Amino acid sequence: MTELAQSLIDALALGGLYALIAIGVTLIYTVMGMMNFAQGEFIMLPAYALYVLAGLPFAVAIGGALATGIAIAVLAERVAFRPVRNTDLSAQLVTSLAVATILQSVVSVTVDGRAQSVATPALVSESSQVGSLSVPNLEILTMALTAIVLGGLGWLLYRTRIGLEMRAAAENFEMARLLGVRANRVIAVAFAISGALAAIVGMLIVMQTGQVSPTMGLTPVLVGFIAVVIGGFGRISGAVIGGLALGALSSLLGTYLPDGLVPFRDAIVFSLPVAILIVRPQGLLGAASGEARI
Amino acid sequence: MNGRGLRSPASAAASLIVPLVLVALTAAVGASGTPAFEETVTLILCNLIVVLGLQVFIGNSGVYSFGQLGFAASGAYAAALLTIPAAFTALQTPELPKLIADAELSPLLSTLIAAAASGLLALVVGWPLMRTSTLAIPISTFAFLIVAYNVLANWDGVTGGSSGLVSIPRTTDLASAALWAGVAIVVAVAFKRSASGYRLQATREDEVAARSIGIGLMRERLLAFTISGFLCGIGGALAVHQSGVLSPTTFYFAASVTTLTMLVVGGARSVLGAVVGTLAVATVNELLRNLEEGAAVFGLFSIGEAPGLAAIGLGLILLVTMIALPEGLTRGREAGELGAIRRRLGRRAVPAGATGQARPRTVREPAGGLRAEGVSLAFSGLHVLRGVELELPPGEALGLIGPNGAGKTTLVNVLSGFQAPDSGSIFLDGADVTRWSPSRLARAGLGRTFQTALPFAGLTVMESIAVGAMGVGVGRRGAVDVAVDVLERLGLSEQAHRPAGLQPPGRQRLLGIARALATGPRYLLLDEPAAGLNDEERRELVEILLGVLKDFGCAILLIEHDMNVVMDLCSRVQVLDNGETVVVGNPEEVQADPAVIEAYLGTSYAEGTHA
Repeated sequence: MTELAQSLIDALALGGLYALIAIGVTLIYTVMGMMNFAQGEFIMLPAYALYVLAGLPFAVAIGGALATGIAIAVLAERVAFRPVRNTDLSAQLVTSLAVATILQSVVSVTVDGRAQSVATPALVSESSQVGSLSVPNLEILTMALTAIVLGGLGWLLYRTRIGLEMRAAAENFEMARLLGVRANRVIAVAFAISGALAAIVGMLIVMQTGQVSPTMGLTPVLVGFIAVVIGGFGRISGAVIGGLALGALSSLLGTYLPDGLVPFRDAIVFSLPVAILIVRPQGLLGAASGEARI
Repeated sequence: MNGRGLRSPASAAASLIVPLVLVALTAAVGASGTPAFEETVTLILCNLIVVLGLQVFIGNSGVYSFGQLGFAASGAYAAALLTIPAAFTALQTPELPKLIADAELSPLLSTLIAAAASGLLALVVGWPLMRTSTLAIPISTFAFLIVAYNVLANWDGVTGGSSGLVSIPRTTDLASAALWAGVAIVVAVAFKRSASGYRLQATREDEVAARSIGIGLMRERLLAFTISGFLCGIGGALAVHQSGVLSPTTFYFAASVTTLTMLVVGGARSVLGAVVGTLAVATVNELLRNLEEGAAVFGLFSIGEAPGLAAIGLGLILLVTMIALPEGLTRGREAGELGAIRRRLGRRAVPAGATGQARPRTVREPAGGLRAEGVSLAFSGLHVLRGVELELPPGEALGLIGPNGAGKTTLVNVLSGFQAPDSGSIFLDGADVTRWSPSRLARAGLGRTFQTALPFAGLTVMESIAVGAMGVGVGRRGAVDVAVDVLERLGLSEQAHRPAGLQPPGRQRLLGIARALATGPRYLLLDEPAAGLNDEERRELVEILLGVLKDFGCAILLIEHDMNVVMDLCSRVQVLDNGETVVVGNPEEVQADPAVIEAYLGTSYAEGTHA
């Protein structure tokens, strides 16, 4: 019983992290129809900010990491993605791949191509006693942040003007534009939020693994993509459910997989969702996206 | 042969020969340098084979796959394991089956087996992946790449794990790499020009239109995916026999970016683009690398292990290309289609002389007609069709009219399989076809056009008509005969070799009809074919459609607002309003019917005139 509860909490925490990644991917997809490969680098760069600012007070380092995430996302949008905004999905995907490559190699050249270790506060590596369970503080932090982000996004999307504009743009971008929604602003805000989310994810990953590397964003971005695909393209709710499902799957496989197969956990985690797509190409709860236009 | 083809013979020849010559020149340059330079060029040619593999799938389908390097990896591992001397195999891969561990095959045999294995893997992996949506394929193939990496890096006893393999015989020399690159070019060009290649290109240009002419999306994609995997396997096998070492990162993310950049820079849609892009990017890459290291360090595939200036340069090249030159250096054209060469070849019109001989085939005599029974459909509560009945007997022309929003187009979508009804049935010559896919219906003799032309913009006029015949299974040569016939009938022969996307709007609509006719339909559904045409074009259209009725014996369902066109063509008219049939009858009756006037002009007008 205890073991089951423990693994459920692990699953929820990892699912929360994956949901945060998937929300970041989805926000950008909804406002400009782009699957953003560089989301992984939006995660990686704030992690490096923590590494670079290691000597300073932790609060300052966190602020620096958040600022880095937001700045790089907004900058990438302005420089690279705005020029290809009206091209097709494939062209945008390849463009974001180029941005990802550039950011990765810049870090490799300026810092190092190999992984670097980062000291994290002792508090996050300790555990708290909850009833009969011992829950790592990092998991509590992850779940709390997920809840806060979801609440905050809900408020932003449904209680503010910019949120209304973003939802309108997600429904029908051209129509929203004709009705006076400022496209550049909406997209820039979406990128800024997405960058902030990526920064949070990057910091959580650093606290978990204690290290940074230029390619650390690769697996998270795939996680985000797959969560978005199985959740159904372009829905925040789908992203959350996709992320939770993928995180739970990964976490439970980690606990219950026979020893010999543990190294292949990622292979299984990434294969199973594709099986879902064969049965339901539009995702678990998606309205068919890319539907035939006639 | 009377020299008639989809392309003029000179253009077709140039498109094959120019890339081959480029490879030969590259090899000659490589042979004239130092041994180290020769090795670099050899690896570039191995790279080219992988890029050609990408071109076959990405270029023709227009769908990006990020997983093809997984097939280069499978080819490389297969070739390495089949050739590493038994003494070394025991140390590196103790769990390998004895048969493979002991094998020390020749370079040729190991390459062929590796390629076959990669092709088979692509078939097995592609089977489910090609079933996912166009949007999901880039992601699911990316997932495959990571899964492949994960397996290679952790299956220690068989793959050597993350430390990889050494002591692989270095048997690939410049000549063999060049020879294989030549083979890969021939394969890529042959596929692009095959009926299957054209069908796939049609799906790239317009998925919906492609389905309407009988093309099965998954099948065509899977075939190209498999051939692509086969070519990538060859490239991987040759590369590993050049470098002599292999690790799971060799063909991973960095190599994916490199090869994709090469393809995109050259222009993904053409085989020439794959060649030009590979050579251009490899050259810049080597220059940057020399700049960085001060001395030459070779091997494009090693980028993953030593990222630096070259990798930044690669990313920048890709970014600038996507922003400034998204169609690539060749603009996606083959050598025979480039401006200068094209002008020299002259503007050959298609030779005449096939009229009537190659009539679009009739699969079987139509019997029973096309019938809708009680078709209802609602979109989130909005009832678009309410128990609609429709009967189109063989050889007849039925007009479908009604005010905007009456449900006419939706009915055509239901009839042609693009939209499943909530209830009711569709019968084609007596068979219940309610759940059939659009492509299956097209193959069964149901053609259609759309309100917008949906041209295959990247194909020529000739090709985009011929692909209609290919879509229903006519071979390449037969499709040319059909296209020539349709071209003449519609007066489009002069435009045969011009791009379909550059035709004026009126002609594009005509092309849509031509494309549907090329499938040899027995029932043709036309959605506002006369919209936007001028008076003369409209008269021509009526002539053409009368000819279709008379000569092809093809029934027509015509949605049209222009009553003159309807009167000229149709013996019966069905009026739809608010998802319901108001009246069916001959045109004169229908025009005088009060219910029709009411539907078009509103209740008060109808009351006023009849009170």
